Amino acid sequence: MKIRDIVKKLGLKVISGEEFLEREVTGGYAGDLLSDVLANSKKGNMWVTLQIHQNIIAVAISKELSGIIIVNGRKPEEGTLKKAKEEKMPVMISNLLTYEVAGRLYEIGIR
Amino acid sequence: MKLNQIIQILDAEILCNVKDESNVNITMACGADLMSDVLAFIKSEALLLTGLTTPQVVYTAENSGVNVVCFVRGKKPSRETVDLAKEKKIVLLATKSPMFESCGKLSKNGLIGCSEVSKQ
Amino acid sequence: MKTKDHKKPSKIQELTYELKVEQVMCKNVTTLKPDNTMNDVRRILRNKKISGIPVIDDDRLVGIVSIEDFLICLLEGGGINEKVENKMTKNVVTVYSDDHIVQLVGKFDRDGYGRFPVVDRDTKKLVGIITKGDIIEGLLKKLEIDYHEEEIHTYRASHIFEDVISDNSILIFKYRIKGGDFKTAGEQTSKLRKNLLRLGFLPETIRRVAIAAFEAEMNIVIYTPEGELVAKIHPEKVTINAIDSGPGIPDVKKAMRQGYSTAPDWVRELGFGAGMGLPNIKNYSDEMTLESKVNEGTNLNFVIYTKKNED
Repeated sequence: MKIRDIVKKLGLKVISGEEFLEREVTGGYAGDLLSDVLANSKKGNMWVTLQIHQNIIAVAISKELSGIIIVNGRKPEEGTLKKAKEEKMPVMISNLLTYEVAGRLYEIGIR
Repeated sequence: MKLNQIIQILDAEILCNVKDESNVNITMACGADLMSDVLAFIKSEALLLTGLTTPQVVYTAENSGVNVVCFVRGKKPSRETVDLAKEKKIVLLATKSPMFESCGKLSKNGLIGCSEVSKQ
Repeated sequence: MKTKDHKKPSKIQELTYELKVEQVMCKNVTTLKPDNTMNDVRRILRNKKISGIPVIDDDRLVGIVSIEDFLICLLEGGGINEKVENKMTKNVVTVYSDDHIVQLVGKFDRDGYGRFPVVDRDTKKLVGIITKGDIIEGLLKKLEIDYHEEEIHTYRASHIFEDVISDNSILIFKYRIKGGDFKTAGEQTSKLRKNLLRLGFLPETIRRVAIAAFEAEMNIVIYTPEGELVAKIHPEKVTINAIDSGPGIPDVKKAMRQGYSTAPDWVRELGFGAGMGLPNIKNYSDEMTLESKVNEGTNLNFVIYTKKNED
């Protein structure tokens, strides 16, 4: 499934990487501890998190994740947004919480 | 959803069961690794899914009125965390499923999230 | 003392007068119809691991069939295709759902039955079934609950504000907090919470105080060498003062912003320091002030009004 389809189905707000929404999503990963995401997420995963610190971009790049969904309607710090744009990382915002976002992704077939 | 159904769906291990709570009804769930966020939005009596296993998870549960905590991604708490949970009468479970999959499976089986419960 | 205790009814005796059948009976009853076969009886007894099944015809209880009936049927050479109505016990002794447990105790021995179907006194419809095991389980559960309530009652200190005479009484609890100690971080709030329970505050008030105090305690543990929580308990409000000895917050305004944090990575990995602590304290309290001087320390003050006053 493409990021674009997920954005549409979950009604996400895209705040960075609009031009890379054709990227393929291979699965989902949810977590707020950066060390855990570094250790356990897989290439192509869509990452669901509460974290808005700019380190999330570095983590997503190093693990080649397809994109980041920030939950609970939180707005990322300025540095995070700047870095996301530089690094061509799609970042989306959902007003729902991790449980609901992961639930919906799972429902539409992201595993 | 009954607690024993949740245990079955997540193939969870029971680390601490104060009384026999398997018949207890759980009405909603929440998943997060950051405790301040849990404190900010979790509702009393929700199931907490978390990858954090420190004693502060138990204090977070106690202070916010959570009775059942399930550790995800195969993480096991220290002895101190389990002992503290016993003292505070909080049920602890552990599943090998990652957070994403745990939320997905429970959600698919009809357990709603904290933000989907209308404010009383 | 001893003779007095002897005369006093035991707790269990008291409970048998207090508890009603409907409080301990099993409500999900498997039933059969008169034209079911003894084979159905065998299947249900085995699958459900029960010892007797009420037989219902047109909403009316017409009999009960038990393991004994099944064995007698076999011993008498009856096949498993025999109809239930020919093998069941017809004059069923029932009890009412509003009977007290004490009325049943003798019945089990006197009549030699292992179980009684329970019917509603008015409609005479079957509403449950009760065994000796259900009664024992019910008594044990009630004992446990009573014990727990008694414990809280014994320790209850909610009358303290009425017992002491003054124009304005305030209880003060002080808790010392050691910086950097993640093993015990949260313990002090837990003690404060217990005191509030004993003082009889409403759960919602306690929840708000506990969450805000826990965040204040975590801040002291994460950022400072040491500090203390001072809780002042008034009948109508709880005020908490969290004071530490440094290093102080350079930009208080920024620190109040949701998501703003100066926490090092290792703190974030412990699930804290994501810039939600102070906003949480603000949200859960009714009033909050924060004063800080770099190199001197921080003084955080918040107030939570108890709900009692609004009612």
